[in-house]
Amino acid sequence: MPHDGSSLKASALRLAAMTRHNLLLRRRDPANLITYMILPMIGIALFKPMFARLMPVGGTTQDVTGELVLTSTLAVQIVGMSLLSERTWRTWEMLRATPATAAELLTGKAVPVLAVLLLQQAVVIGYGVGVAGLTVTGPPFLLLLAMLVWSVTLLAAGSLLATLVTSHSQLAMLTDIGAIMLSTLGGALLPVSMMPAIAQHLAPASPGYWAIGMLKAAVRGDAAGTLGPAAILGGIAIAAGTIACLRLRRGLAQLRS
Amino acid sequence: MLEATGLVKRYGQVTALDGFTLSVAPGEITGLVGHNGAGKTTFTRIVAGLAAPDDGHVTIAGLAPRRALRLIGVAPQEISLYPAVTVGESLRLFGGLHGLRRKRLAAAISEVADVLCLGGFLDKRIASLSGGQQRRAQAAVALLHRPPLVLLDEPTAGVDPQTRQTLIAELRQRAADGAAIVYTTHYLPELADLQATLAVARNGRVIARGPADQLLAGLPGQVTVDLGDEVLRVSATDTAATLAQILTTISKPLRGVSVTEPSLDDLYQAVASAA
Repeated sequence: MPHDGSSLKASALRLAAMTRHNLLLRRRDPANLITYMILPMIGIALFKPMFARLMPVGGTTQDVTGELVLTSTLAVQIVGMSLLSERTWRTWEMLRATPATAAELLTGKAVPVLAVLLLQQAVVIGYGVGVAGLTVTGPPFLLLLAMLVWSVTLLAAGSLLATLVTSHSQLAMLTDIGAIMLSTLGGALLPVSMMPAIAQHLAPASPGYWAIGMLKAAVRGDAAGTLGPAAILGGIAIAAGTIACLRLRRGLAQLRS
Repeated sequence: MLEATGLVKRYGQVTALDGFTLSVAPGEITGLVGHNGAGKTTFTRIVAGLAAPDDGHVTIAGLAPRRALRLIGVAPQEISLYPAVTVGESLRLFGGLHGLRRKRLAAAISEVADVLCLGGFLDKRIASLSGGQQRRAQAAVALLHRPPLVLLDEPTAGVDPQTRQTLIAELRQRAADGAAIVYTTHYLPELADLQATLAVARNGRVIARGPADQLLAGLPGQVTVDLGDEVLRVSATDTAATLAQILTTISKPLRGVSVTEPSLDDLYQAVASAA
């Protein structure tokens, strides 16, 4: 017989098996990730001349961080699909019929997706620095922290979305409309200061607003300017993640019954 | 190994299980038969820890289902494997989740692939396999970690005779090695091949339980005697004695005689209509 399923070592091994498998799934279907890496590169190149004229100071930072937030918000679809596909393939029940706990299964799914979100942002920042002329004056760890906080927020939001929808097309619709609306309102396409007054009032309601502020501050090395928005995004992530877990637990119960 | 007593499960107004009671001993293959809606799949899901009963209780080797998952191998009714990964990768995932590692995992995969004739398909993606091959892959996942309790929900639905025979041979071997097997099916003849004891389910409960030959004993067979200008058909529980009696009473020349023994289908019809 295989070893007892309750020990810490057994738990770690199951988590490793689940994580490895989900990394494999991500590798087998990289189309979405490639899309969300290529799109911001095109966007950054296209908008660079416009931002150079509109914002002689900080134009490139606005261009790169704006595109990063827009496309990483669109990438929430990867999170949602990762969960939704388990239902459509009926594999969730097979997983639940193993000794793996729900926490092990969900963590094993979340880690590769988080890695994908971080990779997407790292590639965009790298492109910004290497090609678009973005200058990062702050310490790398601050930027890494900002990207991690934003990735966790997206992971929580995507998980919540996956519990709200019943089909892939619903998920695509909600993520596409929601991402463009929230990131644009947050200042991804145009700085908030250049938007109409009503949009400026509404902008703080968008997580994208805090993400852009946090990333801009991290790029220039402003720790306080990074940590303030990071705390707000952390709160949003905790709220969305908690609701997602509660709904997921209920959803899983329904799936199980 | 498996003890289920008085299970009740309701989905809204629908009662899927209504006092379902069944026990399966180590080394026993139980054929769980019944029409759609009889409660077979709901019972399987409760035993696999995928659903909780509203009433009654289940134990597996004395443990509640969610605490006994390492003792269970389950193959659901529908194919439930990742289409984009290979058979080998599927087996590595589920083997890993059941605590198998490295050499033990490789040996288990090799063994199950060998007995289920999957050796040539380990590098093939699930989506590229035929229905029968997918069924074998799903059965392989259920059997991989040599569980003492195997739950198979219509594992041969839509598969070719070779796949059926391969699976049946392996299940008989597993039972001979001490595994308890619950085999849900609509296809009754394969239960005879499995030498299974029967549990007939109807309306959410088991209405008959026992060895197939015992349950068949009280059922009538049919004696048919062809006399040329007329054909006699007589139903009888003792077909041999009835045939002998007919032969002593007729004076016309015989054109033909046939005796049909009761089938498992007859058993199901008789038990279901009597309940």
